[in-house]
Amino acid sequence: MIESLLNAFIAAAKIIGLNYSFLLSAYERGPWLEGIGITIGLALLSIVSSLLVGIVVASLLTSGKPWLANPTRAFVELTRNTPTLVQLYCAFFVLNMLINQAVGGAQNNPLSAFAWVVIVLSLHYGAIHAEALRAGIEAVPKVTRESALSLGFSRSESLRYVELPLAMRFALPSLVNNLVNLVKSTALGSAIAVGEVTYASLMIWTQRDNVLELMIFIFLVYGILTLLVARAGSWLETHLRMPGYGH
Amino acid sequence: MATENNTLILKAPWVFPTVSPVALWLVALVAAWAVLGQLYADSIRLLLLWVPHLAKGLQMNILTSVLAIGIGTVLGLLVGALELSQARWINTPARWYVQVFRNAPLLVLIFFTTYVFPFEIKIGSIYLPFPDWIKATIGLALPASAHIAEILRGAVQSIPTPQWEASASLAFSRSQTLRWIILPQCVKRVLPPWMNLYAMITMSTTLASLVGVTELLESAKNASNTVNRTDFTILVYLAILTLFFAYCYPITRLTRRLEKKFSFH
Repeated sequence: MIESLLNAFIAAAKIIGLNYSFLLSAYERGPWLEGIGITIGLALLSIVSSLLVGIVVASLLTSGKPWLANPTRAFVELTRNTPTLVQLYCAFFVLNMLINQAVGGAQNNPLSAFAWVVIVLSLHYGAIHAEALRAGIEAVPKVTRESALSLGFSRSESLRYVELPLAMRFALPSLVNNLVNLVKSTALGSAIAVGEVTYASLMIWTQRDNVLELMIFIFLVYGILTLLVARAGSWLETHLRMPGYGH
Repeated sequence: MATENNTLILKAPWVFPTVSPVALWLVALVAAWAVLGQLYADSIRLLLLWVPHLAKGLQMNILTSVLAIGIGTVLGLLVGALELSQARWINTPARWYVQVFRNAPLLVLIFFTTYVFPFEIKIGSIYLPFPDWIKATIGLALPASAHIAEILRGAVQSIPTPQWEASASLAFSRSQTLRWIILPQCVKRVLPPWMNLYAMITMSTTLASLVGVTELLESAKNASNTVNRTDFTILVYLAILTLFFAYCYPITRLTRRLEKKFSFH
């Protein structure tokens, strides 16, 4: 059934001059489909951990304590003003190398290239999320914070139960925008040979010279993933909307 | 209590002398390098040997970023104008263009332009070479143009509608209103995001290294592989990080200042 559908698709594509015959070879189709899975895994893991990093960094930025806020600001500025690829290289070729030397060889190193991509993307987008969240926290009316404090909330409780829930809502559109960019950035994994969809395609088109065909598929994969993130974002926006705030 | 805090915060900039954060950063960077110089005197000497090679790489980054923003701006203003057109058969394709190029990963677009475009172009009987770095530049310029089209559309739509109506009542045509009344006001709103975009493109030029363009990151990788020493590798990647930061951070600062300056008009 699937086989005949595939054959029909390949025959149809051939009419308009596209060569999708790689789909018939299990040897090439397998890693390619796996690549889609790895892309989704990278995206999901980095989305969750970047949001966590973002919350931590934003609460440090707005802590009001200079010894916490200033180094965090330095981290955010450094992250935002240097290329993600350079950060990835610094992590993978420098830190990973140092870890390898410390634990005595790459075979003892628990961190894979996949893990490094997740770490770098989480830190990078965490810093960018933090900026959005900070703006959100600063958009919370001062009276709200003062009333929370006067009701006996501590500074951190006020942040957790009063300000962050509001800030999340204010920051949601830019957070979703960042997450869409994050999904697109997972393609960077191919730079250090993580077998995500871009890398898997690269491996196929160097053999078969069918760049255009694979490009169409890659654009579709990322298009669908970013669309899903954007949809989830707008669902959350309507779901979390509070009367009196925003629209 | 709260008001006391407020006055303190308000007074702070006058109480303490304000030092420009850029200067602070420069001081910090110089200090960091001075410390590194003590620790890694040997590999710094090696790094100095590689400076010409790295400088050539940096030149490529600057060249591609300037070309990409140039092409992107021209193309983006064009697409943005099409997007603003009221005829549906004009603005729909423009909107699609923007959607496609904004939602595709940059790296994939660079792969696309590098591998799909031919390596030489035949004009008449002459074969013109079409080097990889120009293809990568186009790969950067396409998404840039989509972003600029969006920036332009956003700016035009942020001008209050009464201005359109007022100019219509003064017998300006739609194109005259756009040219003489709306667009001059847009310049201020477009400038900060445009500069931001330039910084982003500059950082993205490193992606060209993945299609074999010898830019800064690729030169650094070459250097690190050739020398093959731990301390040198650390140093060369730190140097790249510092260089990009030194190039992009002032742009970001300026953008923020302009944003603040223009936000009240």
